[in-house]
Amino acid sequence: MTPDLGPAVLPSVLIVSDGRHSVYPPPGIDAGVLVRDTDLASLVHRANADDPPQAVDIDSVAGLGGDDAAVDFVMGRLGIRIVLTRRPQLAARVAGHGGLGLVHVFAYDSTGMSRSLESHPGIANVGSVLSPGLVIVHLRPEELDRLPRPVVAYGLIDELDDARACGALADSIVVRPALAARLAASLVPA
Amino acid sequence: MTYSPPDSATFIERVAADPCCAAITADEYLDAALASRAPVIFILRGNGLTLGSVVRRIHAANKLVAVHVDLVGGLRADRASVSWLAGSGVDAVISSHGQLMAAIRHEHMTAIHRLLLGRRSQLDSAVSAIGHSAPNIVEILPGVILPSVVGMMPRFDVPVLAGGFIRTAADVQAVLAAGALGVTTSSQALWGVA
Repeated sequence: MTPDLGPAVLPSVLIVSDGRHSVYPPPGIDAGVLVRDTDLASLVHRANADDPPQAVDIDSVAGLGGDDAAVDFVMGRLGIRIVLTRRPQLAARVAGHGGLGLVHVFAYDSTGMSRSLESHPGIANVGSVLSPGLVIVHLRPEELDRLPRPVVAYGLIDELDDARACGALADSIVVRPALAARLAASLVPA
Repeated sequence: MTYSPPDSATFIERVAADPCCAAITADEYLDAALASRAPVIFILRGNGLTLGSVVRRIHAANKLVAVHVDLVGGLRADRASVSWLAGSGVDAVISSHGQLMAAIRHEHMTAIHRLLLGRRSQLDSAVSAIGHSAPNIVEILPGVILPSVVGMMPRFDVPVLAGGFIRTAADVQAVLAAGALGVTTSSQALWGVA
């Protein structure tokens, strides 16, 4: 049983963190923290700190299983409401707990993207993680429409112009802290 | 008579001279690919166990054939399937499995290591994998983003092909300008575009 934490709110910008260091979203942009490429102890430590993350890439957490128990732990014990995963059944469980599940859709070519979408659960509160996110600006409108919303553009977004272009099409983009800072600074009136 | 594929240098010269290669995902696209200027036909789907007649038709059209051993049906991506493809007259084999590159070269075919670009943090491990696998060509997907990421890419010692979401002549030009040897595309309008 997970506590009722209210609806999951997806920030427009997710800033990556390895969970071992604090990452503070810069003021001026709607941003949260996505923990990835970490280990279980670091994730727990970060979730109990004064700056808990909003989202976790659950498949990249060493020591954490890829099963229902892992989802229940991340949501119920750590209070993380947004879970990215390659596994459709885990995303569906996140949604069942009132969170936002995001399934990776691998878009290396059009055929592969279509095949990747075939396994998407297509239910409420399960969106898409488009990987690599930078490709979103090259999708045809009908391809973009096929992606279950919300859509997170994740991967290889390293430049300010790319971040803006991807952010105009996606509901959220994943960036490194330095780029988040540049995004925030670019919004400050001269 | 046993077929001998061209050496990798010749394969690369053919692509360099006509950089838009045809990627086909079903037999129904073969006729259009044969009629095009594309120098190489990349077979990405279909039955890997019954390729012989298709390969003969491609060679009869004076084109070369590359097969993605990970994606065609009926084959496991291992040394035995590489030998099978060599026996079928295939000129080049594509795979994401770096450990197969030596086997492909051993069979005197051109070895193409497919590299999937997902995240920047994966690039270092990819570079290491390419260094160990020593392919003749690296194929990068999604190729359409190559112009945007070329600055963060390592320099490979072998030519680069770009595939994935390349659908316009402008895409082709941008990718070639970014340093690619050629492109693989399923967009028929681009097959053989110079």
